[in-house]
Amino acid sequence: MMRALIVDDELHAREELEALLGETGELEVVGRCANAVEALQAIRRDKPDIVFLDVQMPAISGLELLSMLDDDELPAVVFVTAHDEFAVRAFEERALDYLLKPVARERLAKTLERLRKLPPAAPRGYPRAEVRRIPCLAGRAIKLVDLAEVEFVRSSEAGVYVVTAKGELFTELTLKVLEERAGLVRCHKQFLVNVDQVDQIRIEEGLGAIKTRSGKDVPVSRRHLAAVRERLQI
Amino acid sequence: MKLAFELIEALAVFVVIFYLYCRSPAFRPLKPDWPRPRGKVRLYLVFSGIAILGNYLGVPVVEGQAIVNARAVGATLAGLLGGPVLGALVGVTAGIHRVTALGGSAALAGAVATSVEGVLAGLVHLALKRRPERLMTPGVAFVTTLVGEIVHMGIVLLLTHPWPQAVAVVKAIGPPMVIANPFGSALFMLVLLERQRDLDRVAAASSARALRVAERTLGLMARGLGTEVAAELAAIVMEETGVGAVGVTDTEHVLGWAGMGGDHHRPGGRIASPYTRQSIHENVVVFADGVRQRYDCTVSPTCPLDSVVIVPLQVDGIVLGTVQLFEPRGRRFLNMNKSLGEGLGALLSSQLLIARYQEQKSLLVMSELKLAQAQVNPHFLFNALNTIIAILRRDADRARDLLIHLSQFFRKNLKRSSDVSTIEEELQHVGAYLEIEKARFEGRITVETEVEPGLLQVRLPAFTLQPLVENAFKHGFSETLGPGRATIRVRRRDGAAVVEIEDSAGAWVESAGKTGLGMQIVDKRVKNLHGEAFGVSVSCVPNELTRVTVRLPAPAEGVAA
Repeated sequence: MMRALIVDDELHAREELEALLGETGELEVVGRCANAVEALQAIRRDKPDIVFLDVQMPAISGLELLSMLDDDELPAVVFVTAHDEFAVRAFEERALDYLLKPVARERLAKTLERLRKLPPAAPRGYPRAEVRRIPCLAGRAIKLVDLAEVEFVRSSEAGVYVVTAKGELFTELTLKVLEERAGLVRCHKQFLVNVDQVDQIRIEEGLGAIKTRSGKDVPVSRRHLAAVRERLQI
Repeated sequence: MKLAFELIEALAVFVVIFYLYCRSPAFRPLKPDWPRPRGKVRLYLVFSGIAILGNYLGVPVVEGQAIVNARAVGATLAGLLGGPVLGALVGVTAGIHRVTALGGSAALAGAVATSVEGVLAGLVHLALKRRPERLMTPGVAFVTTLVGEIVHMGIVLLLTHPWPQAVAVVKAIGPPMVIANPFGSALFMLVLLERQRDLDRVAAASSARALRVAERTLGLMARGLGTEVAAELAAIVMEETGVGAVGVTDTEHVLGWAGMGGDHHRPGGRIASPYTRQSIHENVVVFADGVRQRYDCTVSPTCPLDSVVIVPLQVDGIVLGTVQLFEPRGRRFLNMNKSLGEGLGALLSSQLLIARYQEQKSLLVMSELKLAQAQVNPHFLFNALNTIIAILRRDADRARDLLIHLSQFFRKNLKRSSDVSTIEEELQHVGAYLEIEKARFEGRITVETEVEPGLLQVRLPAFTLQPLVENAFKHGFSETLGPGRATIRVRRRDGAAVVEIEDSAGAWVESAGKTGLGMQIVDKRVKNLHGEAFGVSVSCVPNELTRVTVRLPAPAEGVAA
């Protein structure tokens, strides 16, 4: 049985879709998320085969959520929307299908048919938007950090941390996604730097040391020095 | 016969000189100009010059006592074009020159004869004055000169002494002058007519030009009178009219400039010229021809511009700016460009009027659309239905209640947007909407309503509260992930009745965007109903709360409402 994740900010909409999916007997609902950040965590944790994704959600839309995921962790996506205007765009994002709320059983059956035909592990190649805000955990709240404020990003065993002048915050996004879609530059295996926040760089014996505007140190490894120099045009 | 050819030779030189003069910018063969003193002086100078030249280019005969000459051509043409007085003056001038500068026994007779010929031609001018198309023909010039030269010979015979010499002179100069000079006059007339036709062609081209300007500016003016449009407009007008410079202003500043003087007539500079201010204040076309009135540039003493026509651009009698056509020193302001400028002003004004009308129409349509959209928001409708369908699975009674609310909401939406409503009715409308939204966002958003007594009958435009509450949901809660709270309060404050719509998102940003327009329309409608002291205002503490306040006139306290 395929494992499905439901993402919708409305409680009743989640319940209704879960009931409909349950009736088909083909899908097992492994999670229900009320916003994109929860969905990001659930997709990582539960690795669902398919995500039923509401387009209009608070703070981070369904489309934005897709851009925050790595290609290899991306499940099949079915957009669910109340109104047509997003459907065309959603389809342009090469979603598997889209459903209009309220969802009719017959229409859902067609979606499942399409899903069955989907070859396993097909390359989906969603062309996705740039990430402009990084969702981070600040205590129990979720904070959206503007890309311009980010000085650098570091990863450690504890996870990925976004560092701004004010401090550092944990994020669910991977270094790879941030490097590819947020325009941050890889300067070390475990570091990405925002070139707009670089204050100075010292180069010694093939290694570099960056000081950011707020005076924090970021290492530049031998391997990435050339790329960093190119981006800084030095 | 040899003399006749020599005279024709001299005449040919004349015609060439005259032709060149006609082609020069100094020449203005415009008929309307001739009756004016300036035009008369000009004609006098030109034809006196021709007549005197006729003396010099003449061929002396009879031992220098007489000259076979073309003087008569100048006097005759002056008379034909300017009347007897002018003809006589040219004749006398050339005659005096003949007597004083060259002399000879036949000089006095020639001088008198030339004056008589000028008067004669002037009489022809008077006779045919009312039909200029018959006056200005080579034929008339030919015949007049022929008759004039015959009279000339008669006068020579009468006034030259002794008689044998008179006969000798007439024998020598008579045939060549009587034969050649009429041809000369006719040729002069031809050159003049040719030039006139040229100018007519130019005039015709100018209408075509005006039309081209109109065509090119039509889309432009629809964008309103801004700096970008002004710069393009100035460039187009200059390109099509060929004047030295073109300026476009609003009522205070230069907006656009093309051509000469662009170094100091910069867009953004304040209007300095008194002519421009006069044009704006009095809504009139102002013309400074560069001779009687000069355009004295107040910005730069080295400004090359000398003459100008300033045409106001107006909509409904209110001047919005001007278009100005300039010519530099040494270049005459063509009458054609003056009238072209005036025409262009009228044309551009009407294009502005059309643009304004379109703009107002689209604004009206937009606000109507906005209201219509608020009345049937498909996103809200389908989400509401989806919620009700979900609830139906477990709680049919509640689903039934929600459907009632939904139908109430849409029934209220069917009211005309021009209707006046009361706070009570508006709260019912909002209440139905909130019941649905509460269900949709169950577990995430709570809603509270607090109403002070005595204010329910306060009047306000229909659809005032609903769009504001909807804004709180659409723009407020759509930006926050956590739980939220919406509060609607109706109370007295500072002697007014206020309705406050508060959300705990604090996500309001001041912008002319989506929220802006909707709120502007609501504000405008409240002000239309109750006056400028009332309306909608917003205050926001980021991430904490946004409060939209609707201020309305309060009923007197203690009166049962």
